[in-house]
Amino acid sequence: MAHDTPIKRVRGLGSAHHGAHHWLVQRFTAIGNLVLSIWLIASIIGLPDLSYATVSKWLAQPVSATAMILLVISTFWHARLGLQVLIEDYLHNSGTKFAALAALNLAVIGGCAFAIFSVASLAFGGAA
Amino acid sequence: MALVGLFVLVWWLGALASGPAYYETFSGLMTSIPGYVVLVGLSWAFFTHLMSGLRHFVLDIGAGYELNTNKVWSIASPLIAILLTAGFWALILNK
Repeated sequence: MAHDTPIKRVRGLGSAHHGAHHWLVQRFTAIGNLVLSIWLIASIIGLPDLSYATVSKWLAQPVSATAMILLVISTFWHARLGLQVLIEDYLHNSGTKFAALAALNLAVIGGCAFAIFSVASLAFGGAA
Repeated sequence: MALVGLFVLVWWLGALASGPAYYETFSGLMTSIPGYVVLVGLSWAFFTHLMSGLRHFVLDIGAGYELNTNKVWSIASPLIAILLTAGFWALILNK
């Protein structure tokens, strides 16, 4: 063990048996969440009201639509990574763990796709 | 809580895409008493997660491990989160 490099010690440890990349992406998406959620909060506070007309007009603008889609991707990715760790740490039966991870993927990808479609439909002007 | 927050975000975006009639239904639900309880709770959870995340960014770079510093920020982070939540709602409700 004395001659191991730190990266060798990291590899293969933990309940997922890998982790440095996962850990880094969790932090990269956290930075995305930080920037984009500050944008969303400032926007919500800055809008004169939160009626359909005001909010839909605001969200249909190219910069708002892009930022909202990026916010959805960053937060859903971050949530997926966090809940994956939760499942790996607390579900010890491999069948249950697999089912929970599959359900997590379905929920997160489905929600993310619906949210992106909703923003796009506003931005492209078609009432869905 | 994060999943509930994302669900309400998606619901909001879906309500916008569904048109004015459904958006009215959505904002009616969200501005009811239980709706406000949910939204205030979610914003509090959001700001707590945000402050805790920022605290862990500092810990990740290897700073702030001295016992006193660590203790101060572990107590201050959730308190700042409550202040941020209160400030956010003060600005929203004073529109």
